[in-house]
Amino acid sequence: MNKLMIFGFSIVLFFAIIAIFAPFIATHDPGKIDIENILTGPSREHLLGTDSLGRDLFSRMVFGARISLLVGFIAVGIAALIGITLGAIAGYYGKWVDIIIMRFVDIMLCFPTFFLILAVIALLEPSIINIMIIIGVTSWMGVARLIRAEILSLKERDFIYAEKAIGASDFRIISRHLIPNAMAPVLVSITLGIAAAILVESSLSFLGIGVQPPTPSWGNILSEGKSVMGAAWWMMLFPGLAIFITVLGYNLLGEGIREKLLRS
Amino acid sequence: MDMLINKKTVFTKTAFLFFILVLLGFRPDYGDSIVAGSIGEPRTLIPILASDSASGAICGLIYNGLVKYDKDLKLVSDLAENWEVSEDGLEITFYLRKNVRWHDGELFTARDVEFTYKSLIDPDVPTPYSGDFKMVKQFEVMDDYTARVIYREPFSPGLSSWGMNIMPRHLLEGEDLINTKFSRDPIGTGAYKFKLWKTGERVELVSNHDYFEGRPYINRYIYRIIPDQATLFLELRAEGVDYISLTPLQASRQTTNRFFNENFQKFNFPSFGYTYMGYNLKDPRFQDIKVRQAINYAVDKQEIIRGVLLGLGRISTGPFIPESWAYNKDVKPLEYDPDKARLLLQEAGWKDKDGDGILEKDGMKFSFTIITNQGNEQRKMTIEIMQRRLKQVGIDVKIKIIEWSAFVSEFINKRRFDAVLLGWGLGQDPDMYDIWHSSKTKEGEFNFVSYSNSEIDKLLLDGRETFDQKERAGIYHRIHEILYEEQPYLFLYVPDSLPIIHRRFKGIEVGAIGIGHDFIKWHVPRDEQRYTR
Repeated sequence: MNKLMIFGFSIVLFFAIIAIFAPFIATHDPGKIDIENILTGPSREHLLGTDSLGRDLFSRMVFGARISLLVGFIAVGIAALIGITLGAIAGYYGKWVDIIIMRFVDIMLCFPTFFLILAVIALLEPSIINIMIIIGVTSWMGVARLIRAEILSLKERDFIYAEKAIGASDFRIISRHLIPNAMAPVLVSITLGIAAAILVESSLSFLGIGVQPPTPSWGNILSEGKSVMGAAWWMMLFPGLAIFITVLGYNLLGEGIREKLLRS
Repeated sequence: MDMLINKKTVFTKTAFLFFILVLLGFRPDYGDSIVAGSIGEPRTLIPILASDSASGAICGLIYNGLVKYDKDLKLVSDLAENWEVSEDGLEITFYLRKNVRWHDGELFTARDVEFTYKSLIDPDVPTPYSGDFKMVKQFEVMDDYTARVIYREPFSPGLSSWGMNIMPRHLLEGEDLINTKFSRDPIGTGAYKFKLWKTGERVELVSNHDYFEGRPYINRYIYRIIPDQATLFLELRAEGVDYISLTPLQASRQTTNRFFNENFQKFNFPSFGYTYMGYNLKDPRFQDIKVRQAINYAVDKQEIIRGVLLGLGRISTGPFIPESWAYNKDVKPLEYDPDKARLLLQEAGWKDKDGDGILEKDGMKFSFTIITNQGNEQRKMTIEIMQRRLKQVGIDVKIKIIEWSAFVSEFINKRRFDAVLLGWGLGQDPDMYDIWHSSKTKEGEFNFVSYSNSEIDKLLLDGRETFDQKERAGIYHRIHEILYEEQPYLFLYVPDSLPIIHRRFKGIEVGAIGIGHDFIKWHVPRDEQRYTR
């Protein structure tokens, strides 16, 4: 474990705990509207102040952590699933299978992802599930390339030839031997991918086409904060900081893992 | 004795000074520019195609109608010097002003009015204003300065419809109005002449020295486009703009400090529009009048006004603003009463059988989605407050916020919604045939809630055929009563208009119509002028 990893990991763990135990950590019902206390600053009663409907910002941020992490994990899970499957198939079979899959990867990489997501959201309806799926299916290409490259070299190793010699099926070779051995660089990519997915979710919610109200997410709290910027600094500062620190945490963790891999 | 003389001299001196001041102050100074800021970019400067408020504001300075509303909401002369309405109400004869010139020097005549009328009823011109003009049976040009309009049936909103801006025939005849260059380089008869339009940045107008009501005092009108409320407000604070509309939060919390008190003047009057929730009456759940009434009891309108508008608005119980003569003051808003709401829902057959807090009927949960357009924080917050209140009586509400053009074309026009939160801007005439008549429910028409009531249909027609305002008031009071009883809309609130204007502008008069009706009289004393170019 190096310093970067430990630092990144503690941030990630910190927000994960907040997300998991949200109902116990929140001091108020995040949806409780209180029009007597609209946009009041941080105080003992409301640790981070209240929003434009008098809802407790701290509690909304705590529940917003759930959304951010959920979107991060599931979107990247989908991306990893697609990326690993296609990358492994391309790497193992080679020839025309490889050519078709990798050209498809190239095509996907040509799209400016964020605008692709905007277009798809305009067609479908904005909801948490749609967002996770869309982020997933537009961000698997990096993983696919990494896995393919690893497998290209791994499949020439002796233990794979041995496995083939005893008559193991292709599926068994790929799933039991090639993928587990190729996972290390993918892990880095996945960790960094979570950070990116959290950012994309926040951006979409900020633009009003992400997580729909009244569900709190850091992005839509930030968006609301922008419209009351001059009157309530806490509405922009805290969600902004939360997004920044979380993304930083995952990036540090990813970098840490990479460094460790390089050394070993 | 000494004292007396002294007093007398002082008095004479004061009187003399006062006299000089009156002489000096008699005519305000010309000069300076006003910079208006807005989040909306105008779409077109062809008035009969303009339906957004940005285009409307600018067209209003460049063009004139035949008639206009004065500050007390009375119809007065504009391009028409005067007019006669026949006994039976079927004919209006307009006597036009002579020697009015278009900004390019051509004379304005009745031919221009005829041309504008023909464009309005041309089926190839996509104007939202054709409805009123299709009621015209015949349009006759008697001579260059006299025009007669003959209606098929008596049509009381007819006269006010001629407030429509008149376009120049000599420049537009034979042009394709949708693609003409004129839409970005217009010529009118109005107080200001068009100078330039930089897309996404600003529109600039200069004063028309030969304007028929006299030269406007302010030399230039600059309309800056800043598509974000927060940025717009920062510009105001930096005095980069002189005139914007504040949000309730800005008005009540951010402009109360010394800087704003010293440098700006704020106004507050009811806006001509109301916000409502419309039900899709094709939906069997909402066909039950008890359900609609229950929702009215379950929603605390006062809470919405205090929460969303910070108190800067008022409850609306019908499709008019409370100041209008058409508004029935005897229709009182229902008190917030969740128990009564529960009772009504129970009578309508909605019961919570499985104890999850949500009502059911015939195995279906009472859950519906309210849609609204993106970019309007107030509407979003309104739904969020209603959502909490409706949950308390066992109705589950979901929110969907959709980008404007898809919202209109895919959801409103195609009737794909359970309920919709929207606002109507109101004209001065209370006629609202297009919104409530049962014949106006086709795709793209305005009765998108599919409301149908034969008594309302008849009253709407009566309202159009009656000219006496007292008699008309009776008709609209009855319409108001029925609509509140039947609740095809849940009428929510009339927000206040909250303009703020730099202090150096003087002569701003607030009337029943708001401000801006006497814009050509606004002026800045010479030593306070900013833009002297």
